[in-house]
Amino acid sequence: MNAPDRYEKFVVPEGTKKVSYERDMKIMNAATFVIEREDHTIGNIVRMQLHRDPNVLFAGYKLPHPLQYKILLRIQTTSQSSPMQAYNLAIDDLDKELDHLKRSFEDEMVRLQSENREGL
Amino acid sequence: MDGQGQMSSSYQRFPTVKIREMKDDYMKFELKNTDPSIANALRRVMIGEVPTIAIDLVEIESNSSVLNDEFLAHRLGLIPLISERAMDMRFSRDCDTCDGDAQCHYCSVEFKLNVKCDGDQTLDVTSLDLVSSDMRENPVVAVDRAADMNVFDASEQRGIIIVKLRRGQELRLRAIARKGIGKDHAKWSPAATVTFMYEPDIHINENLMETLTLDEKREWIESCPTKVFDIHPDTQQVFVVDAEAYSYDDEVIKKAEAMGKPGLVSINAKDDSFIFTIESTGALKASQMLLNAIDILKQKLETVRLSPETEEDDAQFIDLEQHMRGGGGR
Ligand SMILES: [Zn+2]
Repeated sequence: MNAPDRYEKFVVPEGTKKVSYERDMKIMNAATFVIEREDHTIGNIVRMQLHRDPNVLFAGYKLPHPLQYKILLRIQTTSQSSPMQAYNLAIDDLDKELDHLKRSFEDEMVRLQSENREGL
Repeated sequence: MDGQGQMSSSYQRFPTVKIREMKDDYMKFELKNTDPSIANALRRVMIGEVPTIAIDLVEIESNSSVLNDEFLAHRLGLIPLISERAMDMRFSRDCDTCDGDAQCHYCSVEFKLNVKCDGDQTLDVTSLDLVSSDMRENPVVAVDRAADMNVFDASEQRGIIIVKLRRGQELRLRAIARKGIGKDHAKWSPAATVTFMYEPDIHINENLMETLTLDEKREWIESCPTKVFDIHPDTQQVFVVDAEAYSYDDEVIKKAEAMGKPGLVSINAKDDSFIFTIESTGALKASQMLLNAIDILKQKLETVRLSPETEEDDAQFIDLEQHMRGGGGR
């Protein structure tokens, strides 16, 4: 009767920002990103991509509560970079990786189909 | 401006794929040169976020069957519908054409079902009795298993049974199918199962292995619950027959220790090589599930990009900070 709507777990409510950013006031080059309506799928790939960046000193995410549909992503970098720069770079790299994955899968499908044709 | 000009830096990976087996509703492939996080994200997206079409609204005109209305509505929802067009459709909740009423072809497909049992024989009402209003190419219809399986008798009904009717009973209803995702309700998931395993890297310590008698070798091989190892009939050497049969149960390692031969074998999970298995409900082809998952994941990454306003706010903050410190640039 008073159950919340199911779509609440993936639709960002009106007037809410998808990604908000808060700088750490005590530590240089550290910040927390709050990403609304995302979970381990995004949190984990972004974190692992950030770990590949040598300018990233710390990157971690948490899903604070299973009924709060958001994740917190915390990044600290060296002075050579900034949390925002590292975040943008991680997303760019993941995007390129997925482009590459799509291409290699499509090539593989073509290879398999031509192989099957020859086999007939 | 900030002396951070290494815009060309990139830490991108270049994954490779090798398909081992591909059928319409089943696929097995190797994914290499990437991270477990990517493998898991693909798995999660295929199960929970690749959209399909499923019955979501049911208007029952007449139901004298043994099942009550809501039971039938639930069963109808679970029937897989051919969802090739789902990626191009709209979600009802953000459809402007019909204001989310699910009345237009951009976001919904109407089905009718009208069956009455007149004979003495029990009548099966199946998914094949659902009549789609979709007249376009690649229509949204119930999955027809007879079409893709080599059934001996094509006339043999292979639909999914909804309910059985006896003489005099009838079922008349209108159903509206909508686009949705598995995260909302499992009926929208195109996945029967999606799994991946880490490719095992098995090394036998040959010198230590040769200290075992033939019977001891047999005993050790038998300790593995799955057939991973075997003995060569001529050389009597132990070798790996099927590394992927290993289920990371550690039995052979414990057995080696119990036999006083620790380090007889070392088994490690490679963390950049995965073997995926995709099984589809039939709503989408297994290969299409992966392609759609990649697209959905890309769309998700696009939505989590920082907005220009957020970036601007921070740029102003940096300027202010530098001004306070009385310095110009780091
Ligand atoms: Zn509509």
